[in-house]
Amino acid sequence: MVKLKIDNADFEVKEGLTILDIAIGAGIKIPTLCNNKNFPHYSSCMVCMVKDQKKENFLPSCSALAQDGMDIDCSSDEVKSLRRESIELLLSEHRAECEAPCKVVCPGGYNIPLMNRLLSAKDFNTAVQLSIAQIQSSGLKCKDCPGYCENACRRKKVDTPVSIKNLQIFVSQQIKMENRVAGQHNIKKSSKRFASHIGKIEADELQEWLKECKNVIKRVREISDSDSAAMESESCMHCDCRAADNCRLRDIADEFSIKDPRGKIVNSPIQKKININTGLIFENAKCIKCGLCVRLCENSKEEPGLCFINRGFVSIISEPLTEDFNDILKTKSQEVIDICPTGALSLKTHQPPIWGA
Amino acid sequence: MDITSVVDEVVELTGRDPEKVVLILQEVQKRLNWLPSEALKHICEVTDITPEQISGVSTFYSQFRHLPVGKHTIKICAGTACHVKGSPLISDAFKRVLKIDNVRNASPDNLFSIEEVACLGCCTLAPIVQIDGKTYGHVKPTQADEIIHDFLISGNQPVNTPESVINEDIDAEIRIGIGSCCVAGGSKEILSEINNVKEKYNLNIRLKPVGCVGVCNQTPLMEIVTKENIHSRYTKVDKQQVEEILLKHVRPRSLNKRIKGSINDLVDTFLSEEKLSGQVNIPVELREKYLNNFLNHQVHISTKNSGVLSPESYEEYCLSGGFEALLKCIKESDQKSIIKIIADSGLRGRGGAGFPTGKKWGISFLSTGNPKYVICNGDEGDPGAFMDRMLLESFPYRVIEGMIIAGFATGASEGIFYIRAEYPLAVTRVRTAIKRCYENGVLGNNIYDSTFSFNVKIFEGAGAFVCGEETALISSLEGKRGTPHLRPPYPAVSGFRGQPTLVNNVETLSIVPWIITYGQEALCSMGTEKSKGTKVFALAGKISKGGLIEVPMGITIREIVENIGDGVINGNTFKAVQIGGPSGGCIPASKADTLVDYEELTKLGAMMGSGGMVVLDNTDCMVDMAKYFLTFTHKQSCGKCTFCRIGTKHMLNIITALTEGKATLEDINDLEKLCKYVRDGSLCGLGKTSPNPVLTGLKYFREEYEEHTRGICRANKCRDLIKYNVNDSCTGCTKCSQECPVKAIPFKPYEKHEIDQLICTKCDNCRIICPEKAIEIINING
Ligand SMILES: Cc1cc2nc3c(=O)[nH]c(=O)nc-3n(C[C@H](O)[C@H](O)[C@H](O)COP(=O)(O)O)c2cc1C
Ligand code: SF4
Ligand code: SF4
Ligand code: SF4
Ligand code: SF4
Ligand code: FES
Ligand code: FES
Ligand code: FES
Repeated sequence: MVKLKIDNADFEVKEGLTILDIAIGAGIKIPTLCNNKNFPHYSSCMVCMVKDQKKENFLPSCSALAQDGMDIDCSSDEVKSLRRESIELLLSEHRAECEAPCKVVCPGGYNIPLMNRLLSAKDFNTAVQLSIAQIQSSGLKCKDCPGYCENACRRKKVDTPVSIKNLQIFVSQQIKMENRVAGQHNIKKSSKRFASHIGKIEADELQEWLKECKNVIKRVREISDSDSAAMESESCMHCDCRAADNCRLRDIADEFSIKDPRGKIVNSPIQKKININTGLIFENAKCIKCGLCVRLCENSKEEPGLCFINRGFVSIISEPLTEDFNDILKTKSQEVIDICPTGALSLKTHQPPIWGA
Repeated sequence: MDITSVVDEVVELTGRDPEKVVLILQEVQKRLNWLPSEALKHICEVTDITPEQISGVSTFYSQFRHLPVGKHTIKICAGTACHVKGSPLISDAFKRVLKIDNVRNASPDNLFSIEEVACLGCCTLAPIVQIDGKTYGHVKPTQADEIIHDFLISGNQPVNTPESVINEDIDAEIRIGIGSCCVAGGSKEILSEINNVKEKYNLNIRLKPVGCVGVCNQTPLMEIVTKENIHSRYTKVDKQQVEEILLKHVRPRSLNKRIKGSINDLVDTFLSEEKLSGQVNIPVELREKYLNNFLNHQVHISTKNSGVLSPESYEEYCLSGGFEALLKCIKESDQKSIIKIIADSGLRGRGGAGFPTGKKWGISFLSTGNPKYVICNGDEGDPGAFMDRMLLESFPYRVIEGMIIAGFATGASEGIFYIRAEYPLAVTRVRTAIKRCYENGVLGNNIYDSTFSFNVKIFEGAGAFVCGEETALISSLEGKRGTPHLRPPYPAVSGFRGQPTLVNNVETLSIVPWIITYGQEALCSMGTEKSKGTKVFALAGKISKGGLIEVPMGITIREIVENIGDGVINGNTFKAVQIGGPSGGCIPASKADTLVDYEELTKLGAMMGSGGMVVLDNTDCMVDMAKYFLTFTHKQSCGKCTFCRIGTKHMLNIITALTEGKATLEDINDLEKLCKYVRDGSLCGLGKTSPNPVLTGLKYFREEYEEHTRGICRANKCRDLIKYNVNDSCTGCTKCSQECPVKAIPFKPYEKHEIDQLICTKCDNCRIICPEKAIEIINING
């Protein structure tokens, strides 16, 4: 048995437990990112830091084994500021956006990229439902708005902005009396959440977003029918993050009330890799190098998976050098997506929950 | 040969075990010069290595290339000593002369590629350039052309080290250093010249190659011991002088008249000294005094018998008392008593942290597991250190003996030498020594007829500083990426393959036989209260006499710099000592009376580290030094933990802005805060100690940091803050104009020359070439 103090409370536990294990058992909250109980601990994110008061040093609690006589501090300001720094450092190379620029500037907070995806998928029913909910919760109508969205639209940097305003107006025109009465869906006014930003985007990098809209045939300005709506909405580049409502990093940033650090640093150019067989998407700039996906793929000679490439600041998650991204993870895509704490790994077809979390 | 058959051939040799991945990659690259993905793919097909493993591992280590390179690789040393002696300018010069394309990293004719490498282990001859196996020392940026030319005609001849022959009926023994520095200094040419002279005059002499003598910046070094046992040493020997020197000491056995005449002539010339060409024109007594001063303040334990032992000779090592300690351990002692002797001697690990060696052995002894391992850590990655290299090259048997004793004491049956990739000579020497040990029964089964068996093998690193950290080293041995993990579990409890593994530094092990032979008190009586015995340092930088020194603990830094190193070069002022490499710090001259002692150095914010000691003078900029070390640690970070991977990048960005005069006082405060976070939050020693150079810089030289925010670099080192200027001493000789590679100086015979600041690339060529010292470096704002 091992005797130790955590936050001044005495514990007596069996050998081989980590400090995090004990803390969880005792209901002491420690944030974690790279830890997963199904895998041997690894300790890379360093957001779970605690202080060893006797040795005057700091330890990642997820792999620090409890030792006799330890006196651990989990909650002081000193510990919290170190954790906070680790998150800020992770975010300082996080060249990614939780929310699309169009949505951010929309005075009504319309979920524009979502609407575009519904339209391009020709799911007009849901599109109409979304429009009703948006109008009801904000009281705003697109025809009264100068169209901030189009000004902010990233597509503008490639060629011309998506015809957002006309698309929205077109959908709102389809609203019939009977739909309006129903009004089953109410968008929860989400409290102001943490939002990561990209910073400067290089011209080459911009091309990566175009991979999201491979099927653009023709651009249309005037939206007159469902076909033109579907055609134009296809040119939306999916600027919002697929994990916006399901991201550990974003959650923790919220918990610590962190503002996105200014001046992002670049370790490798932004890339979107899309597996044409499984729809798996990997976005390197969202990866925090926690290594969970790599640990999941280890020892699978049958099915090539993900691995680390390079060393240090420029290390990155990748398919093996000998494989094509299209050929990896034939069966395990969903597993790696589930284990990834961020939006770095996701499914092309994934839709964040439509009515907000 | 096609790629698949190369791979098949290699795998035939190495086996299919995933642990062998580094070796397989090394062997394949040796044959193909790079690693095409076809080769990687085939390796996965014929071994148990997965595509993930081979991709992760082959991109982790700097040694492996995934793009074809030029036929010859020019390695430019970017180690500390070379950096302070101007290696960045050298690198620029080679790139310019060869028109190296940065993307492809090859010259247009595909003949040359450039690689910047951490210390090549010849710091005392800095700056160093190595083309394939051929080493050039004291290189100037203006020599790039000349060196390439020399390389192309002379090619890369292998070093032939003649076996030393035992033959007592000789007139003299000629000892010549064959350590890396000596070879770089040209000792192989000297060796062959001695042989020529020997044949020409039929001299009755024995030629004996010896290991590093320690005076590495005076190489090549030649010592003549005559029958009468008179020693004469010659430093910086030139090929042309060999004949003269030899004939002075040794009489030819049979001479024909004509040659005799010419010899008398020669001897006369020699006696009057002045007529001699080259650098040997100092009277012998003076030379002796010079060397003796350097050697006398030292105490030799790890380096015992330096310059006397033939590194590869098992017999000589035994004659000098070698393997007696091992015999004593096995025949007269037992495990617990040996561990107690080591503990009582006060020996602490020389690998950096200074953990008590006896205690570590005790833990390993008590751990259960079979087999147990002993690892000799020879990864020495500190860019300003080469002690371990020298010990392995010159005293391989001593280190092996220490390892066997460690194995016996802790109950281990297998030993592994982990040796850095850049040390091929050390690998060869240790390999030969291991072979000889097996032949003589000190390795293998039932050593000295006891029940104790011990086997040793070598693992060559692949170029990753972090693999010096013991848990990363073990990952690397296991065929994984060399990333560290949190301890405990300590390797002594659960290490290589999960078994108890004792990891000790080369130097630590080399002291062990001495302690056993002379007793624990002998070591314990030397040094300070908590730091016992001696420490080997690589003394380099702006010092008159650099080299490898072994000094007793408790000596002051000033004694080392002034007595042993004979002060700073060129009459410049002694500014600081950088100690402990990238993990250590700069100790200012005002604190030079600090004792060499683990705790004392740590108190100052530096650390003992592995033993790099680089002397800095007033022409060195402290911000530039910090930037240099941070660049190194940042590049060497394994990338696992957030603070080290990203934190060092932010630190480096701020420091870089400082050297460009673009940072503010507030940035300095941010930098200091960040340093503390990185120190507290990093997972392993690499990250935790990476802020030390900055923190000591801020502690002792803060005003220099602050000056940089105003665009002033008082050492005139930071390139963005200086410019080249022609002063009134210019006689209009036009040399600078001819030498300037970018034509920034218009050709104006007999007129004062001028430099066009917009064109000048600050390559330093003009300043080197100017015979009038008319070209000066001044502050850009001044
Ligand atoms: C980044 C880093 C690099 C290291 N490099 C070396 C090295 O090159 N050689 C070495 O012996 N120890 C090195 N160490 C220390 C080892 O982790 C370990 O403490 C040492 O080998 C133990 O041997 P000792 O007790 O004999 O000193 C390094 C440690 C760190 C954190
Ligand atoms: S990964 Fe998380 S933090 Fe990053 S953009 Fe996506 S939701 Fe935001
Ligand atoms: S491309 Fe789509 S998601 Fe991006 S800003 Fe434009 S409309 Fe919004
Ligand atoms: S892709 Fe996701 S799971 Fe994999 S290392 Fe990056 S953040 Fe972690
Ligand atoms: S003027 Fe500038 S570029 Fe030309 S030789 Fe001098 S330092 Fe070099
Ligand atoms: S959760 Fe502990 S270091 Fe990431
Ligand atoms: S040889 Fe260049 S620094 Fe050591
Ligand atoms: S290697 Fe020759 S003296 Fe050091």
